[in-house]
Amino acid sequence: MKTKYLYKAVTTALLLSSASVAYASDASTLDVGRLAISGYGDVGYTYQPNKKDADGNDIQNNVVARFIPIFLFQMSEKIHIEAELEFAVDENGETETVLEYANMHYFFNDNTIITAGRFLLPFGQFGANLHPSWINKAASNPGIYGGHGGNGSMGGVTGIMNDTGVNISNTWSLGDAGKLFTDFYVVSGPRQEAGDHGGGVDMDVKKGDNNDSMALGGRVAYAFLPQWEIGLSYYSGAYSNDGELDYTAYTIDFNWIGSYATVRGEIFGSTAGTEWEEEVELPDGSEVHEEFLQDLNKNGFYVQGTWQARQLGKAWLNPIELVLRYSKTASDFDGSISHVLEEDGGRMGSRIYYGINYWLEPSAVLKFGAESTSIDNEAASHDPIADDRIFLQLAFGF
Amino acid sequence: MKLIKLVLPFIIITVSALTLSTFSVSAQAASDGSLVAKGAKLYSENCGRCHNPRPAEEYTKREWSVVMPHMRAKAHMTGKEALAVEAFLASTLTADIRDDDHSSTQDKPQRTGEELVTVFGCQGCHIIKGEGGTLGPQLDTTVADKGVKFVIRKLLEPTFNNAASAMPRYPMSTADKQAIVDYLKSE
Ligand code: HEC
Ligand code: HEC
Repeated sequence: MKTKYLYKAVTTALLLSSASVAYASDASTLDVGRLAISGYGDVGYTYQPNKKDADGNDIQNNVVARFIPIFLFQMSEKIHIEAELEFAVDENGETETVLEYANMHYFFNDNTIITAGRFLLPFGQFGANLHPSWINKAASNPGIYGGHGGNGSMGGVTGIMNDTGVNISNTWSLGDAGKLFTDFYVVSGPRQEAGDHGGGVDMDVKKGDNNDSMALGGRVAYAFLPQWEIGLSYYSGAYSNDGELDYTAYTIDFNWIGSYATVRGEIFGSTAGTEWEEEVELPDGSEVHEEFLQDLNKNGFYVQGTWQARQLGKAWLNPIELVLRYSKTASDFDGSISHVLEEDGGRMGSRIYYGINYWLEPSAVLKFGAESTSIDNEAASHDPIADDRIFLQLAFGF
Repeated sequence: MKLIKLVLPFIIITVSALTLSTFSVSAQAASDGSLVAKGAKLYSENCGRCHNPRPAEEYTKREWSVVMPHMRAKAHMTGKEALAVEAFLASTLTADIRDDDHSSTQDKPQRTGEELVTVFGCQGCHIIKGEGGTLGPQLDTTVADKGVKFVIRKLLEPTFNNAASAMPRYPMSTADKQAIVDYLKSE
């Protein structure tokens, strides 16, 4: 099943359901609407005392701005469409437009939802639920998600964010406060990038699938509401053009949500098959060319704590929230080889973020943060990169 | 076909989900106190899990009806749970349910503090007399600690001391506010 069939399916559903008038549900107590526009945006300023551009010039100040509208359509009680676009002005002053997701939910029954189209993969919590800037308590992304909208030097271990396919989500009640959440999906999967050793895993899905194998994944989570949720996610797909190199990843997310504080984190691991070749000298002095496959691993974790000073009961402290986050990654790429998967990263990286947030509204926040990254690049051709940053960000959801 | 094999387990899960769940959801009005109270509890347990809870007055009822399915999917709520949350949101946005100072209250009997607390679902978010949710603080000592004036002001304008408050604004009558305060004060 190729992406275009999915788009066709979504379009057909759209057409079919727009042919029938959205009807008022007897059950809902709300006036039934058809369209809502929501979304989020942010303006961020980053100060990096030791950042240089490719020519060695100081580039220490960056301003980025993003505007991300979400279009929600209610076709009927059972069919719902959502699409999110991202407009961003990056640090080089260039404007980017990205389709984050565009999908259809079919509310199959009381506890089953089928989603088709392009959607945020239920892999862990950060990518699916916590990355919008008014939700993310920090002005940067956790180290293991360094790639997307985050900040460079500690290359993210995963690019798993969104893809095109079908997801089935279920909810089961286990007693009064216990819940079991399941998601299973089939998506078009990662692609192969050009480069040595089989290139790298390219998670950019706008190009469609490159092989006839789909990627599979899912998340099973246990929640004990309102305080606990622990999830296990798995993802696996062939990424090479010949379908022989696989990329697999898992993440365990844990979330504790108190009345004033939260503690969240993810423990992540991934393996990518890669191609290698070597000249082997035989005892008789002749050389043979050998090709072999080797797995390269990347793993890491992040843990983040937040606390609302409101707990102290002083009115002037009500809008203030403190944030502390630590991330660590390790990878088989030691910088001695050139490989796309390596990104800019080193063998080991760790990053700490300290932040103070000032809440202006339930979904508008001014974040002030300081982040320090240390990367051990022992075998890399370049020296360790010092990377300390200060952030000021205004984020809002609407 | 490969795809069929892949999709089969999902179909099985779905069919079993279907048989386990009942379809019929009876029509209940926003004035159904028990549904509103249940919705307040579900809101308090679910709507602050990922982000700050968004207060009802941010959207119209029409907009909420479109936003809620989006959040039902995010939060993994059942259809019935989503309906209860909708009833709760609707209850604070519905003029004939809220009993503001401008609407005539003469023809309606004054409800007791206890009734009002139930109808408005305060215990979805607050512990009162040992029972309730934890999204907001317990209210048993609030009147004693912060005074009657503070509580009345909080009910009138929840964001007056906290711009990010999830506490719904209930434009209830002065008599209703007083009845709630008296109830909160009582042992
Ligand atoms: C599992 C995480 C999660 C839970 C639980 C959750 N939300 Fe959200 N919510 C989000 C995310 C993520 C967004 C941002 C929209 C996006 O990126 O698609 C959002 C956005 C919103 C918005 C902005 C409008 C929109 O749809 O974008 C409102 C309002 C909202 N949530 C209300 C609620 C309510 C009410 C509940 C409880 C029923 C709830 N949320 C539970 C994750 C969650
Ligand atoms: C949707 C959840 C929710 C509901 C329902 C709710 N509240 Fe609240 N309330 C909160 C939250 C969260 C806070 C704490 C944040 C703040 O200060 O606004 C709060 C704060 C308060 C406070 C101030 C407490 C203090 O110590 O500062 C009072 C008083 C109060 N609520 C009374 C009520 C009453 C009475 C009702 C029912 C009519 C009610 N609340 C319904 C969420 C809720």
